[in-house]
Amino acid sequence: MTKKIGSPNAVVVGALFTLGLLMASYAGGQGLLTRLPSPAPGNSSLSRVVASEAGEIYLSWVSREAQQVTLEFTRLTNDGWDATRVISRGSNWFVNWADFPVLSVDSGGMVAHWLQLSAAGNYDYDIRARFYRQDKATWSEARTIHGDGVSAEHGFVSMLPLNDGTTLISWLDGRETVLKEPPGAMTLRAGIFDKSGATISEWQLDDRVCDCCQTSSAMTQNGPIVVYRARGQQEVRDIYATRLVDGSWTLPQVIHNDNWQIAGCPVNGPSVTAMNKQVAVAWFSAKDDVPKIQLALSTDSGLSFSEPVVVESPNTNGRVDTTILDSGDIVVSWMETAGEAKILLSRYNPSGELLGTTEVASSSASRRSGFPIIESVGDTVYVTWTDIGATPQVRVARIDY
Amino acid sequence: MFKSVTPLVSPGLRILILVSLTVFCNPLSGSETNDGKWRIVNYWSEWCAPCRLEIPIFNELSVSLATSNVVILGVNFDEDPMDVTLKIAEKMGIQFPVLSQEEVDALALNSPNVLPTTYLLSPSNNVVAKLVGQQSKQDILEALTLQGLTALAE
Repeated sequence: MTKKIGSPNAVVVGALFTLGLLMASYAGGQGLLTRLPSPAPGNSSLSRVVASEAGEIYLSWVSREAQQVTLEFTRLTNDGWDATRVISRGSNWFVNWADFPVLSVDSGGMVAHWLQLSAAGNYDYDIRARFYRQDKATWSEARTIHGDGVSAEHGFVSMLPLNDGTTLISWLDGRETVLKEPPGAMTLRAGIFDKSGATISEWQLDDRVCDCCQTSSAMTQNGPIVVYRARGQQEVRDIYATRLVDGSWTLPQVIHNDNWQIAGCPVNGPSVTAMNKQVAVAWFSAKDDVPKIQLALSTDSGLSFSEPVVVESPNTNGRVDTTILDSGDIVVSWMETAGEAKILLSRYNPSGELLGTTEVASSSASRRSGFPIIESVGDTVYVTWTDIGATPQVRVARIDY
Repeated sequence: MFKSVTPLVSPGLRILILVSLTVFCNPLSGSETNDGKWRIVNYWSEWCAPCRLEIPIFNELSVSLATSNVVILGVNFDEDPMDVTLKIAEKMGIQFPVLSQEEVDALALNSPNVLPTTYLLSPSNNVVAKLVGQQSKQDILEALTLQGLTALAE
């Protein structure tokens, strides 16, 4: 998602952190990379960066101390990172490197979620969320966003602020793996929630999806689009999209027929980004055991998509994210696995032509390094990842194009 | 139970590989690698439903193959610290040995793109089969048979 540039924060923050932090500069389609100080403590991970409509950058992460897990966030201000604030903490969370908390921000407030183990069931967990109201400056009590009351797996959440102060939340919902006999499949569901967290509406978007891949959503000129990894009857698990049009969800539509047939969990969901009618979807596949990242583009709000371009193959383990710059260029973050693992950002023009690739950091193909997450404000991209070592710590950088 | 029909690597080369692994990679101990055994290495994760469904099959095979030259080993895909991994393994009911990250590194296995994934390694630690997705007992037995490992008793 891209946000309007012009916020004082977005303009001034570069000056605040430039001295001693400049790592490298690039010409052409590559960006100017600047490492920012990390506001997160040691033993932090699972970070996300998100921008408000006003262009303010927020960073969330999870920190651990003994058995206690804490979800925290902060905001980038003219003076650097604001004070860290706690959203929630607990000792009965399901903490997972691929399925981790989302923070959503809009002009009227915020929403954040985490996964909490159910009372019953060894591997069952609920999606718990708190809703922050700007006008009341308070967080709601934690609530479970799915109303099934079933002890099952729920997770892989994506959130999308709508322009009326409500939030679209989509998630994988395992209720039918418990309620049906023989056990049903993992489903994709979505709901719209008001500022207080009350459910306005809820839908099942797909009755058979991949069990363990992230969902992603974006706002197009014609309404929200949700992308996810589907699961065909013959275990083909390609990327599909559905759109909310005039109050109804369209029939799920394949982005591209990769025909990747696997009776297992790729743990590599797609990412969608949109600006007006321009939509970009990036995803990982490994048909015939050949890893590949592809990027497909749409100019009609996701009604149709181009033939994909290959971002990388085979030296990748995926872990993609996407954002669209104000220029209309698309940035894809991904992990390269040739030799030492690296976090890379590849920039494409609106026609899908590669403009350049920027190395953000050396990383590790280890699961503990997690999924790098990107967000853009104007033509600046912010990226966050986990630097693993003796003590993992969240890192942040910005790339000016 | 199974017996190896044809050695894939000469004893001299096998020793060279194992010595190299032992010296340079801080690997499995000599007693664990220099044993002439075939290894079935199953990557699992606690949050992977098909992985959990496979575990009883590998538990059963680990018992039925106990006196053969085939061993079942597990790898926690999430690379948690060993103490955490062992707790998860216990919670999942895993009854076969689980490798530490150092032991996985010593085997030089590529981390799979899909869970579950099961590798069949020859005694010289070459990957001779990669089974992606949920496997049945029959799938595993067929993979062994394809490598010349003959079922002696069923």
